[in-house]
Amino acid sequence: MSGPAILTLAAIAKAFAGIHAVRDVSLAVGRGRILGLVGENGAGKSTLMNIIGGVVRPDGGTMLLDGAPYAPASPGEASRAGIAFIHQELNLFSNLTIAENIFLNDFPQRRFGPFSLIDRAAVARQARALLSEVSLDLPPETPLDRLSPGERQLVEVARALRLDARIIIFDEPTTSLTARETERLFALVARLREAGKSVIYISHILTDVAALADDIAVLRDGALIEAGAKAQFPIARMITLMVGRPIDQLYPPRKSAPQAAVLLEAISLGATGIIRDVSFALHRGEVLGIFGLMGAGRTELARILFGLDSHETGEIRVEGRRLPARSARASIRSGIAFITENRREEGLLMNGTVAENIALAALPRLAITPAELIEQGRIRSAAGALAEALNIKTASLDAPAKSLSGGNQQKVVLAKWLLCRPSVFIMDEPTRGIDVGAKYEIYSIIDRLAGAGGGVLFISSELEELLAVCDRILVMSRGEIVGEFARAGFDRGRVLAAAFREAAA
Amino acid sequence: MNRALYDRVSGYLLRHAAAIIFIVVFVYFGLAADNFLSAENSLNIIKQASFTGVIAVGMTFVLLTAGIDLSVGSNMYVSAMTVGYLLQIPGLQGGFGVLAGIVAGLATGALFGAINAACIVYLRITPFLVTLATMVAGHGLVTAITQSFGLDYPAAFTSFGAASILGIPIPVAIFAAVVAAAHIVLTRTPFGRQLYAVGNDAEAARKAGIATDRIIFSVYVISGLCAALGGVTLIALVGRLNQTFGVGKEFDVITAAVLGGTSLFGGVGTAFGAVIGSVLVQMVQAGMVFVKVNLYLQPMVLAAVIFIAVFFDSLRGARLEKLKRRFIRMDAPNEPGASAGKEIANPP
Amino acid sequence: MAAIFPDLATPRNISNQLSNVWPLLAVATGQTLVIIILGIDLSQGAIMGFASVAGGFVMATAADPNLLGGSPLWGTVLTEGGGWLAGRSGSVLIGVGLMLVVGGLVGLINGYFIARFRMPAFMVTLVSLMLFSSAGIWLTQSQNIVNLPPEFTQLGSGDLVSFYFGEKVEATIKRRDILSFLTYPMVIALALAVAVEIMLRFSVLGRYIYAIGMNAKTAAISGVPVRRVIMVVFVLSGLCAAVASILYSARLGGGRPTIGAGAALLDIIGATVIGGTSLSGGRGKIVWTLIGVVFFVLLGNTLNYMGLSAFYIDVVKGGIILAAAALDVARNQLLAGQAA
Repeated sequence: MSGPAILTLAAIAKAFAGIHAVRDVSLAVGRGRILGLVGENGAGKSTLMNIIGGVVRPDGGTMLLDGAPYAPASPGEASRAGIAFIHQELNLFSNLTIAENIFLNDFPQRRFGPFSLIDRAAVARQARALLSEVSLDLPPETPLDRLSPGERQLVEVARALRLDARIIIFDEPTTSLTARETERLFALVARLREAGKSVIYISHILTDVAALADDIAVLRDGALIEAGAKAQFPIARMITLMVGRPIDQLYPPRKSAPQAAVLLEAISLGATGIIRDVSFALHRGEVLGIFGLMGAGRTELARILFGLDSHETGEIRVEGRRLPARSARASIRSGIAFITENRREEGLLMNGTVAENIALAALPRLAITPAELIEQGRIRSAAGALAEALNIKTASLDAPAKSLSGGNQQKVVLAKWLLCRPSVFIMDEPTRGIDVGAKYEIYSIIDRLAGAGGGVLFISSELEELLAVCDRILVMSRGEIVGEFARAGFDRGRVLAAAFREAAA
Repeated sequence: MNRALYDRVSGYLLRHAAAIIFIVVFVYFGLAADNFLSAENSLNIIKQASFTGVIAVGMTFVLLTAGIDLSVGSNMYVSAMTVGYLLQIPGLQGGFGVLAGIVAGLATGALFGAINAACIVYLRITPFLVTLATMVAGHGLVTAITQSFGLDYPAAFTSFGAASILGIPIPVAIFAAVVAAAHIVLTRTPFGRQLYAVGNDAEAARKAGIATDRIIFSVYVISGLCAALGGVTLIALVGRLNQTFGVGKEFDVITAAVLGGTSLFGGVGTAFGAVIGSVLVQMVQAGMVFVKVNLYLQPMVLAAVIFIAVFFDSLRGARLEKLKRRFIRMDAPNEPGASAGKEIANPP
Repeated sequence: MAAIFPDLATPRNISNQLSNVWPLLAVATGQTLVIIILGIDLSQGAIMGFASVAGGFVMATAADPNLLGGSPLWGTVLTEGGGWLAGRSGSVLIGVGLMLVVGGLVGLINGYFIARFRMPAFMVTLVSLMLFSSAGIWLTQSQNIVNLPPEFTQLGSGDLVSFYFGEKVEATIKRRDILSFLTYPMVIALALAVAVEIMLRFSVLGRYIYAIGMNAKTAAISGVPVRRVIMVVFVLSGLCAAVASILYSARLGGGRPTIGAGAALLDIIGATVIGGTSLSGGRGKIVWTLIGVVFFVLLGNTLNYMGLSAFYIDVVKGGIILAAAALDVARNQLLAGQAA
């Protein structure tokens, strides 16, 4: 790193219940520079940033902010010291307006006799100025729940600017942004640097980090592996450092080929304001990718296919038979599995045991009819067999799901569905938020499922993985399918162009 | 009917369900009972509503944080007892003594609220359980102390309850002042706005640097203070404290707040909602007396009104969710009238 | 406690102590299920009162027109000659069945609106509470219905097996020397609790109940019929309240609209929570609730023996509930610390 450091960490350490989350990390953040922080899940990035942001206190080590000792006891103290932390889950409040969100911590106030009240005129005036700085062209009194994820991110940045932050931490800022919003955010980050602010940028998307950062720091198992100027860190090297072993292949080879038989067929599905005229066929043994920007209607389509939401026109057929009742239960019975994009909220019982989670969807199968009683032994042996087949790393089948790593949690979700013996797998962002090694395992499982005659509908916003894993890719935009590419015709640029509908312009 | 029009009309009706029920009830009783709309009766309804209303304002603060305070009825009883015992002292039966008694009563209520708050904030026990326990404990304590005997209040105090300022009865004036203060606090102070943030997502609020513990502590103290205020003004009117004072009041108060549009899930609600809710409850009760509904049936009618309001509120929630789902963001170059046709980009 | 207060250990007292346990166990069993799915059922007390009234109306063998003449059901269901079923064979069986049906129906109404329209359980069951407690009072005009048939009242105190302590000098044995070992209320309440515990542990429905308590969204996507399970749980809660109503009404020998009023709510929820069922959902067992109920009842009785007024007992009970809840919170935090 060149130039003086604004923030220096020395030998920072933090353990939770005896497990080291961060050990002996010494790192400097340069003034007016962007530090890219990379590492697998569980490498300690979040803990380290939570220490800087005052969310948790370190067990050991010291920090210097602009030469002065810095030990925030709360997020409030950190923000007063000039450190803004933009969490992955945005800290905004949908029941307040844009301006209220920006000024929540220190409203401009005016005295009315003995009372001091919010100065609404000043709030509006200052909010407009901040919004124009982040080029968000909306009235400050707009309720936040009318904003898209990208616009909300800009509101967060405006809030950081309002606090006159010297250091702004972005934790995975682009996961819910469209490509256009991402571009806008990057331009803003570059402007922040020009204005002399320092930025810590955390992301799984290494190409973004490579494009944006001046310096790179790599964490693994809670320790700092290496840090330095960007030039020393080509992407391949970043990956090697992150996983601790050279990975020449991020993706397993696709071993099987699709067959002719159609498993799942959508015929001009439509739902007002959600999807329009969606038709496609998923074949036996096929991995069919669905690519699209955030809000293109991919997740909505998946929910409709699985029967969680209703559609108004068209029909869905499984192996030629029209799906009757529209419910998750009926879909499961017809052999459909749905791996949702949100593991914690929709995929798992976080407080439930691994065995409980694996057995959940197949309980009616495991029951001894007609009293619907369950034999514990059957559940355990079925769950145990799958945990072994999928290589789930857990202390025991009775460990709570929340004690597992992201990758192993995702494998528990897969195991849950495999126990139902489905033929169609709808996977919505199955590799989101899991580390490189676990991703490889998930891709292998997908390949094996297709090889065994299943059909996989693979929804993702990471184009690279779709190009590597799929036999065919459909592109969605604004609720419609706007492009289709077979494996032989895969082309990064053309898929993206279709998603942006630029080809038409 | 035209679908878009239907959507708009039904959306409007659902959004203003509480106000519409209010008007329907008002018009119905106005037509059914001759003197219902008389100035005297209207003022009487507002006066009767003001006791519940004051407490409902405090409850609104609590509900905004997604909490609940079941102990308000018990708190009324405790505070009223404090006033009662102080005013038994001969030296305190004059004007100044009454004032001291009232202040002591309010302080008792705030302390009661602070005990709830401490259990909720420091021990992290669910508000429902904390306030259920203090509800029973508080009532038991007072009844044990008074040994179930009634307590009488001196004339100086009861005349305060029956007095008026500029023709406005004291309870109504207090109610108006509390509502106005609450409205300003909720809409125009940082505390108020932060309160809404905490109710929306407490964890996010903490991360955003808001002193959530302090805010949650405050709302239970405010609720306790409002309960004491309601209790003290009501006992000044009643003049005699007995064992049933305040019993079941918590449900009236929660009902009034919820009828006024305050959500049990936090983050949604206003001070004026408490006015609408409490007056609505009182109007239904008074109206039933006017049209001579069987005394035993009156609670059932009230239950039906509450049910309708909560039912419409849930329909509105479901509808909002459905509309949100429809909200597909148009990103990308999106010229108006752009072709919606499909383009298959060169299948190989 | 028996060492300090020898009276507590006399046979009669043990029976008495336990006689308060069984109805509370029945109703708390239902509340446990509701709390596991993150709900709350405020209407159980009202169900108990209403079911008691309903049972009284049909089963009474005689009625006093001076007391009940004002009832809207006077002359139709109830007359001076007793209730509608008075004197018919199987009247107790039908009466008990009717009480169960009443409990189940109220539960079904609660469950339907909570599950189908996603209305908050607190408000829905509060409305039920108002509706059915005032309906019970209206139907009886605030009176109690007495003269219930002995076949019914023995459900409240009759014993299957009992032991006699003391010398057999007289032909008739004094009641207080008998230790009622197996009483009807005990058998009924325990059978209900065991059945529900088996359902929770070993059936698909039980698994579904826990899953919904932990995460209803995940459960729904995994094919759990969430709405149906919620309805079933509230129906069970109503049925449990009806069973408690049967036991209480039989013991008190009358149909009383106020049987579950007042502090009953604290007892029901307090006993459940003291047992360890978590108000944050997904965790709870009927065995725990049994322990909570026994503890709660013994506590009340002991304090009573110490000469504490009933009102101070409420204060202590409130404190105990807070302590139990604080313990639960501490345990959760400990577990969370270990998992992180």
